Amino acid sequence: MSRAVITGCGVVSAFGVGARVFWDALSEGRAAVGPIRHFDASGFPTRVAGEVPVLRTDGAWLREYLGGRLPEPVLQEWEASGALRDRKIGFGWVAALEAWHQAGCGEDASDTWLSMALGLEQAFLEDFGPLLRKEGARTSIDWATEQGASLPQVRFRSRIDLCADGLVRMLGLTGPVVPHVSACAAGTLSVAHAASLIERGAATRVLCGASDSMVNPLGLGGMSRLGAPSPRAEPDACRPFDRRRDGLAMGEGAAMFVVESEERALARGARPLARILGWGSTQDAYKTTAPLPDGAMARRAMQQALRRAGLAARDIGYVNAHGTGTPLNDPAEARAIREVLQDVPVSSIKGAVGHLMAASGAIEAAACLLPFQSDCLPGTAHHRERDPECDIDVIGERPREARVDAVLSNSFGFGGQNATVILGRGA
Amino acid sequence: MRPVAVIAASAVSARGLGWRGLGKAVREGGTAATACSALGGILAAQVPALPSAQDVEPRQLKLMSRGARLSCVAARSLFRESPSLPREETGFFLGVGASGGAVEELEAMLAASFPQEQFDLSRFGNAGLGACNPLFAFQLMNNYTLCHAAIREGLRGPNAALFSRGAGTVLALAEARHAVASGECDVALGGGADSALHPVTWAELRRGGEEGMVPGEGAALLAMAAADHGQSLGFLQRCEVHPGRQGLAGALESTRRSLLAMGPECVVLAAAPKWRDAARELAASVCPGAVFESAALFGEALAASASLAAVAALDLLQDGEVHRAAVLVTGPDGDVGLVGLASEVAS
Repeated sequence: MSRAVITGCGVVSAFGVGARVFWDALSEGRAAVGPIRHFDASGFPTRVAGEVPVLRTDGAWLREYLGGRLPEPVLQEWEASGALRDRKIGFGWVAALEAWHQAGCGEDASDTWLSMALGLEQAFLEDFGPLLRKEGARTSIDWATEQGASLPQVRFRSRIDLCADGLVRMLGLTGPVVPHVSACAAGTLSVAHAASLIERGAATRVLCGASDSMVNPLGLGGMSRLGAPSPRAEPDACRPFDRRRDGLAMGEGAAMFVVESEERALARGARPLARILGWGSTQDAYKTTAPLPDGAMARRAMQQALRRAGLAARDIGYVNAHGTGTPLNDPAEARAIREVLQDVPVSSIKGAVGHLMAASGAIEAAACLLPFQSDCLPGTAHHRERDPECDIDVIGERPREARVDAVLSNSFGFGGQNATVILGRGA
Repeated sequence: MRPVAVIAASAVSARGLGWRGLGKAVREGGTAATACSALGGILAAQVPALPSAQDVEPRQLKLMSRGARLSCVAARSLFRESPSLPREETGFFLGVGASGGAVEELEAMLAASFPQEQFDLSRFGNAGLGACNPLFAFQLMNNYTLCHAAIREGLRGPNAALFSRGAGTVLALAEARHAVASGECDVALGGGADSALHPVTWAELRRGGEEGMVPGEGAALLAMAAADHGQSLGFLQRCEVHPGRQGLAGALESTRRSLLAMGPECVVLAAAPKWRDAARELAASVCPGAVFESAALFGEALAASASLAAVAALDLLQDGEVHRAAVLVTGPDGDVGLVGLASEVAS
């Protein structure tokens, strides 16, 4: 059986573009949730997010980071189609290219699989204007006029796997494409799936990770209607495991990884950033709208991951929690962590970068590489008051120095999907 | 890795609820398209009225897309027919389609957000959002196509939702098969659920140049267990995807090699119109005279196509006339999915 290792990592986050930018910010204990700038959110219930600092993810922005990797006519075609209005497409491309370069992948890597978590289609509500018909008090969409209307090629919504299609073309990938759509668990599942493909010998190299942005009118509005975001439009909107927590902060961005077998990586001189030791997934099968309060299925996912990794609870030196800062998630997760891992140091980066939804597990896996690089455990931005309901060792706002050899990351999705992955220090 | 058997199945399609008889219907070239009022009266392979015993409770409907509802019905049907199937640690891997919020919710939101001809962001932020069902977001989250069914049936094992436009569902079947083969779980469900009858989805398909396409919908599930489980409707020999996004020719050639290695006696073909001729030619070169196309019966059901074709192939194994059946799927993205089913474990 081949052990899977991560040899490349790319990140686009609220701190900016680049994995090093992200790790440096976490090392310094910074936070980047703030007022939304790329559209006017003043009329929305939620007005802050962990927004990637770019107003438009258009061709001009992409040219800066793709360095000609996507031929100019192709990039222009994408821009003209209207697809680049979906911010996660560009985020995914930029993060993937950074990971690809860091891993030293070249043309010989074209048989790579793509196992990528992607968020929902971005809705382009403005496109419906030419189709609306008002008759008295009723407004309806006249679909019959759609084909004759002057609209971009990609209209009404983006397509979920557009980002993946672009990567296939940009990197010349000829392996299968696996679009994970398990909501907030999807990013972690994409990493776990990549490791599984390597271990079972189905793939020799997998580009995995996630990209998402729900920082758009319908994404932000839909989540607000569910009551998930904090009602406070403040930079400390998300306060994971804090007694005063009152909801999440939306975020956006991407984290991508190159995963391959350890033998192959070492043979070609690549430096493993981490080993992927174990993973697990479960379903709460409880309620549509809430997590299982006792965290029993989250606990089972962690236990599965430990078993697969061949590790004991005491071997885990750090937990990157799902830690949404919502009243229901944090106590359930804390209970599960306490029962499985007792006094392990725990933090959540969602106070710093927001909740990246489908990409949350991926960016948190990227955060889990930090301890292996600089013996630094990320802190929990805006965690100031301990909550007795969350009886775990929460790392506060400042990062903690510690040398650890194995870390565990949890991701729990709307709908009850739970995923855990365990990473170990690279060779 | 242990061989994997299919121990139960279910389907909901334009032919109604149930999977038995679908193979024969596909072999005979059956059709089931009717005029679809939601799409301006065009022909569509739409699921007829659902039996209340399997259908979801009315109060749940506002939380669900059409695909999620069909997934729930297929799962309920599976467990009603096979009540001894375990649930607590059963795995669930599902190919799911695009988001599919109710059009009337969308219209209410837009009515409040377009005071004139221009979209007004500020109005959308309050009146627009206020005009729709507060749980509208759950209709849009496509992982709920899996989650609603898991919650309803109490399925708590390993799971993943994979976006699919056809062949992606074969990846979901492959993950379910691997979960059983590797011992990760004793029983796993694999399949797909989707509806191409949503106006936004249909508009996308039309723009993709799918001339002659009949939109469809449905859901189908295969319950898998280790071959020594004791009961078997057939054995799952292959689940593989041959990537065609960089060009169909290479995908078809590698699929041909797999088909020849498998030696099927028939092929159930679910191919999107633009790839249909090439896929038909490939299938016919391996199984002359025994290529049965499922599109006429099921329509282009996107994430449901592969699983509907798979249960039809499984049905063909049941009467003993066929011992090895292949399912060949090509969705609009050009990836080619291959599923191999056999009545005996491969030696």
